Amino acid sequence: MAAETDSGRLEFDTDFGFTSDRIRYGWYGLLAILLLVGAYAVYLRITQGMASTNLTSTTPWGAWVAFYIYFVGLSAGAFLVSTLSNVFGMEGMENVDRDALFAAAISMAVALLFVWIDLGRMDRMYHPFIWRQITSPLAWEVHAYVAYIAVLVTELYFAMRVDLARLAARVGGWRGTLYRALTLGRTDTGEHARERDETWLKRVGILGIPLAIFLVHGGTGVLFAVAKARPYWNSGLFPIIFVVSAIVSGAALVMGLYVLRSKVLGGDLDRSLLDRVAKLTAAFVLVDLAFFMIDMLIALNSLHPHDVETWLLILTGEMAWSFWLVMAGLGWAVPLTLLSKRSWRRTPALMLLAALSVVVGIVGVRFNIVVPPLIVPVMEGLPAGEYVPSLVEWTTSAGIVAVGLALYTLGVELLPLEPLGDDK
Amino acid sequence: MSQSNTPGVPDVDAMDVDRMVESEREDPESVLAETDHSTDLGLAMAEDAKRVGRGELSSERFWAKYDEAASAEFGEAYEATPNPAVDSDDQTIDEAAAESLSCSVGSMDSVAAELDESEAAEASQADADADGGPTYGMVIDLQKCVGCDSCTVACKAENRTPPGVSYNVVMEEEHGEFPNVSRTNIPRPCMQCTNPPCVQVCPVSATYKMDNGVVNIDYERCIGCRYCMIACPYGARYFDFGESYDDEVMEADEITSPEYGVDRDEEGRVEPVGNVRKCHFCHHRLNRGEEPACVETCVGDARNAGDLDDPESDVAQMADSDRAFQLKEEGGTDPNVYYLK
Repeated sequence: MAAETDSGRLEFDTDFGFTSDRIRYGWYGLLAILLLVGAYAVYLRITQGMASTNLTSTTPWGAWVAFYIYFVGLSAGAFLVSTLSNVFGMEGMENVDRDALFAAAISMAVALLFVWIDLGRMDRMYHPFIWRQITSPLAWEVHAYVAYIAVLVTELYFAMRVDLARLAARVGGWRGTLYRALTLGRTDTGEHARERDETWLKRVGILGIPLAIFLVHGGTGVLFAVAKARPYWNSGLFPIIFVVSAIVSGAALVMGLYVLRSKVLGGDLDRSLLDRVAKLTAAFVLVDLAFFMIDMLIALNSLHPHDVETWLLILTGEMAWSFWLVMAGLGWAVPLTLLSKRSWRRTPALMLLAALSVVVGIVGVRFNIVVPPLIVPVMEGLPAGEYVPSLVEWTTSAGIVAVGLALYTLGVELLPLEPLGDDK
Repeated sequence: MSQSNTPGVPDVDAMDVDRMVESEREDPESVLAETDHSTDLGLAMAEDAKRVGRGELSSERFWAKYDEAASAEFGEAYEATPNPAVDSDDQTIDEAAAESLSCSVGSMDSVAAELDESEAAEASQADADADGGPTYGMVIDLQKCVGCDSCTVACKAENRTPPGVSYNVVMEEEHGEFPNVSRTNIPRPCMQCTNPPCVQVCPVSATYKMDNGVVNIDYERCIGCRYCMIACPYGARYFDFGESYDDEVMEADEITSPEYGVDRDEEGRVEPVGNVRKCHFCHHRLNRGEEPACVETCVGDARNAGDLDDPESDVAQMADSDRAFQLKEEGGTDPNVYYLK
């Protein structure tokens, strides 16, 4: 696909799409299938109500909630990685900055879709903005999410505006119109305007950091930690582990996207940047592992029956494979091995593997956060729970993830998510 | 069909009511015939009294017509009863007559002042005792409970709860090893905690604590996020998945319970499907002055309900006894359901 330029001369690459049409159609075809299956599953979910799930009154939260906290974590993590460049000025990171922000925004949208489909009364999703409860973390969270999405969109705007303006000046047709609209009329690409954007990018980023850490993801951890009825969650360390594992998954996501982008979309790959992001991911995996161990030690030493029982269920119960294989294997062991050697950290394919391993492993972490404490009954004599997500739960989840992937792919094909080169 | 907002009241219009009254009304002639006094005079006075009521006849003319006849018929008793229409111009009775009938009267000012005083007294009473009204509580005697589960059944029948929703369950614990075993049955309604964790976490304040101590759910507001179920330390909350006994029991859905005093069987009303549900001490029964269904039905008289604020009440005294304990006392929820061990 030739880039359209007003002068007919290629100044910088304006075409960010797939380099191969075969990959493009294959990918969109796959997404279309997932979206269709997902749409049918959502239809079943809406017509049959919550009876289409395998949830019960003993295990009232399941796959959807696990995916919700997973994507909130992914979003918060990716956002925090983006601030390494635009707030802390870490060298080279500006190449992944916008991609991280965009992925964060899409992840958050996906997270909210999961919250929505999980509501018993989906038609009442606006109620939390009308009625509130000051002591409810969920009531704060809903507002924090809105503020956070505003921060992400603002950040993305200031990060991309100059390139959007440059594109608007050079690309015609509907794409040109789109770029012009996205600049919100500020088309100045001069040095002064550029500096202004960077200042605001930093300011909003500084506002976003505490929002992401303490309210959006720390807050999601608090949401669980305040539930005293479930001692497994009811620990002060819990929200911190939430944030750390969010950063792990966010850093891995950004690393994976960086490799994929250069493989599939073409473009240069900075191996020292890859090494840097890889080290960062490894460091956070270690911190995550350490906090997890501390939390387990505190719980087992407490000898609190419900807490100990929940931990034993995780380590030795029917679903222990999800802990040992997914959480410990894919989440910790595989990435730590792959990230251990300098030459491996500079091999894109291996780093993509490590990133995928973490991103899948953290799904296991989220499931093992949500489900086990809802299997052990709160009182002796009440029935124990039993939960494996239903087909409708799996397929709606696949559909919602496909919505995110489709939005992300469209963004990648259309938006300057990687800084445009200088004018030649 | 017209909408009736009052639970338990049949849907009838004014004509139906008139017809019902007409059929129930006793025949005036036969009723008067049983008395010692004149039937004809009674009937005539009643007919004309109705005309006075309709404004077709002035009360002066009515009394002019009947004063003499009534005086002759009823004698002394008639003279002693004050008749405002005859005794004074402004249709009031004098103070002496009021005294003799023990009615207290006075100027509007003095009556208003008296009312103020009694209201002020009530208010100060309310200050002393947070909410003034009762705090409903339950005391369950585990020595009397035989584990028959009839409370659970009575609850299902009263509240018409769907499959998977059981406001009351009986938890059974077995202790010891054969042959030295014992069993404890612990019926578990909602604890109606003084500090309810479910209320703390509800993002839309759909679940709330009433002044009377009962924790309720607003089915028109609940979004079905199930956070309250996560937070409840007693597993006392159930999600309504929309299931029904209709397959097993013919017309099981024909009757619904007026939970929280609202009938939900009519079109346009909010069904609690997709909401969280829980025991509310049969709030609709409490409002009628009745005990919760489980308490009423208990075969061993193990369950007691009443006002915990009233030190004279049975439940307050039982809750105060050495045998009394609450479930998960260390949790700080301070349940209003007590058990006697």
